[in-house]
Amino acid sequence: MRFLAPAAAALAVTLPVILALYFLRIRRPTRVVPALHLWPDAIRDRQANVPWQRLRFSWLLLLQLLVAAFLVAAAVQPALPASASVAAHTIVLLDASASMQARDVQPSRLDEARRQAGALVDQLGPQDRMTLIAVEATPRIVTSTVGDHAAMHRALDGVTATNGEADLSAALVLAAGAVRPGEDARAYLFSDGIAMPLRASFTTGLPFTVEYRRIGVSGENVALTSLVVRTSAQSRAAYVRVQNFGRQPRTVTLDWRSDAGLIDVRPLTLAGGQAQDVVLPVPDGATTVTAHIDTKDFFSLDDSAIAIARVPRAFRVLLVTPGNVFLEQALRLRPDFQLDVIAPTAYRGAGAYALTVFDRYSPGALPDAPFVMVDPPAGSPLAGGAPIGIGRVRASDAGDPLLNNVSLQDVHVARSEDLTSSSFGRALVTSVQTPLVLVRDQPFRQALFGFDIHESDFPLRIGFPILVQNLSEWMLPPTVPASSFHPGEPVTVVPEAGATSVAVVRPDGSRRPLPLGSIATFGDTDQVGVYTVEQTVAGRLDRSWFAVNLFSDATSQLSPIDNLTLPPAQLVGVAVAPHQGFLQIWPLIAILALVLVLAEWLAFHRGL
Amino acid sequence: MTSNPLLEPALIRRLESIALLVRRAVKGQMGGERRSISRGRSPEFADFRNYSPGDDFRLIDWNAYARLDRFMLRLFVAEEELPLSLFVDLSGSMDWGSPNKAQTAKRLAAALAYVALSSLDRVRLTVFAEGPTSGGAPYRGRHATQELFSRIDSFPVGGPTDYSRLVWPISRQRPGMSILITDGLGESAIDPAITALRLARQEGAVLQLLAPQEITPDWTGDARLRDAETGAEREFTATPVTQAAYRTALARRTDDIQAAARRRGLRFARLTTDEPIDDMVRRSLRRIGLLA
Repeated sequence: MRFLAPAAAALAVTLPVILALYFLRIRRPTRVVPALHLWPDAIRDRQANVPWQRLRFSWLLLLQLLVAAFLVAAAVQPALPASASVAAHTIVLLDASASMQARDVQPSRLDEARRQAGALVDQLGPQDRMTLIAVEATPRIVTSTVGDHAAMHRALDGVTATNGEADLSAALVLAAGAVRPGEDARAYLFSDGIAMPLRASFTTGLPFTVEYRRIGVSGENVALTSLVVRTSAQSRAAYVRVQNFGRQPRTVTLDWRSDAGLIDVRPLTLAGGQAQDVVLPVPDGATTVTAHIDTKDFFSLDDSAIAIARVPRAFRVLLVTPGNVFLEQALRLRPDFQLDVIAPTAYRGAGAYALTVFDRYSPGALPDAPFVMVDPPAGSPLAGGAPIGIGRVRASDAGDPLLNNVSLQDVHVARSEDLTSSSFGRALVTSVQTPLVLVRDQPFRQALFGFDIHESDFPLRIGFPILVQNLSEWMLPPTVPASSFHPGEPVTVVPEAGATSVAVVRPDGSRRPLPLGSIATFGDTDQVGVYTVEQTVAGRLDRSWFAVNLFSDATSQLSPIDNLTLPPAQLVGVAVAPHQGFLQIWPLIAILALVLVLAEWLAFHRGL
Repeated sequence: MTSNPLLEPALIRRLESIALLVRRAVKGQMGGERRSISRGRSPEFADFRNYSPGDDFRLIDWNAYARLDRFMLRLFVAEEELPLSLFVDLSGSMDWGSPNKAQTAKRLAAALAYVALSSLDRVRLTVFAEGPTSGGAPYRGRHATQELFSRIDSFPVGGPTDYSRLVWPISRQRPGMSILITDGLGESAIDPAITALRLARQEGAVLQLLAPQEITPDWTGDARLRDAETGAEREFTATPVTQAAYRTALARRTDDIQAAARRRGLRFARLTTDEPIDDMVRRSLRRIGLLA
């Protein structure tokens, strides 16, 4: 047996103090009674103000000494050698993703994970290091201490479930970074196994073994996995998708509400694994619509979904061109764009336009606003070098979101200005000879095409209008996003021209101001619900909204993973010394002390 | 009478309408208002018996002689005095409580004595603590009231109780009525005194007198208890539990006295000092059949 806090033995001084108190006599007032022999022989010293008397046996004294002794014994934290060995450095990977809110184990998966991790904490010796990593969308090291059990328990209690997914890869990278070379380390992953796919290639393996502790037992769950509001020429409607991720057939009731009240209630019966799409009306004038299913299952986060029902606010867009039907048609695809087309000679400035597209024309003063410059003429500050012939066209970064669904195969460009030396921004589309399309974020999101659209077959490809859409949404995100965002997903907020304040009000009512003067990215979207963007323009408060919903099949598919594939361990130069963990027994002793306190209380009241 | 502090004049007037109730006839030394086991002169016929020489020939029933041809004497119930003995506990334990038990006992004894004296009964007074002290020659007649009251009032209070010392004075009593007024809380057993009353053919009662504060103690906490009789001391901590234990012991002591009294054919009443003497006499003692 070892004592983890031997200094606490100093508290044993309380025992002689208690004993000394019983040596002291109390000054008792004299009471004359008619028959002393009728009074029971009951005496108890509770006050001491006259020194020293002969010590008498007292059950209270015995119990109080025992209580003090047990408390001192608990304070020194005796620990027995544990049957399982622990490493010198234990890494606890605690899954705090949305699926850990499931209550198929009581009170919740996260609580169960905390409990199991807490038991591991209790086994650590005084020299053992423990690092606690919360596995969230952005994993973080919560604490890393040596032998401080209380701090570890506090840190465990401080971990709360988020609404995002678990990025296990990033968590493992964090854990690997926390291990010193040659250190004897072992990681424990307390998780239901529902996490983003491992993306990091741990080619060299991990410097520790990972032991997966599965949390959770059931995958029975009915979820709302999609809610989209569509506007057609005839009507506006919402499309809701309800899916039963469990194996048992379920009957649920779908409540459909707007911010004005209840609209519809529909009972739905779903077989195991079945999904059902429901089309629901959207009333005019509604700001938000909400779908809710009454499931009584283990996971409530996906039982509600909310969408913005407002008609998007229109943007005024100006196309300055001697004539470009491709650009004009591509821009008109945005329903919230009011497009004006003028000749270069008619251009008098960007004025109130939110976006200006200059085609083969460059004004003397570029607007302080989003713009697209296509083939700037020579003499323009954005003009490149002399035109050069272009070979194969390719993406500068295939993973760039601006090129989502944009295929550059079979795209040809006859020639383009040489933008090799341009300092405009980063290349989006490039070639061997020169970058072809450049984009930049500051001060406003802007794009520069180095070639004339007509000297390419790109406008004839499906990728062209998609690229224009991507660029326009990047520069001017719709005031009402077509779909909701996921928890933690960054949202682009474009301030109005002349806005004097911009802030986002989160679903819980907290208000986050945004910087003025440029497009801002708001990433504090961990809560589900409706976020309100408030802008003050010319003394008028202008509001727009976006919604954040779970909408994650991977999360709603609640079944815990039995066998999680984890990167292998590559233990190079690790000297694993025989190391025994500890089983702390002080809680048991503390409980015994509590029982003795109760016995002492009973003894006192029974006059022992 | 008005100068006597023991009993108020109004109370004394009310006591004149009360009499001691005797279950069986008694034999006294002088004529009184009690039926006597002696046959004597009175309007109430009792029995016949054969004439024997020396009998009062005036009592011969001549009608019976005519019918039976032998002398028969007519016997009448003699109305004689009732010998009432009062044994009053004035030990240290009686000097306690509010109202004080000893003072209440003196007043109760005075009231009972007055009831007896007003019925021309004979009253003998004995106070006791560690030992008995005679209250003097028997008192008879209302004119003795003042002297008896002064005597009762003059006795000091204190000392331990020893009931066994009462056996001798009790055994010397002529058959009659005896009333023992005590708190019954002495360390010595009360049984010898009660048994002696029975053996002395005493009809009577045991009146246990307690103060309300000793029936229900109203204090808790630490104290040094001192016995009112012996002066013995003991440290003590009063809790609800110990108070309950005391009350149980007191109830057991009362039950024992009551059981012993009834076993010997004596009446028993437990009186508390907060009860007015008038109520004690007219209500509590009537209830047990001691007074009529």
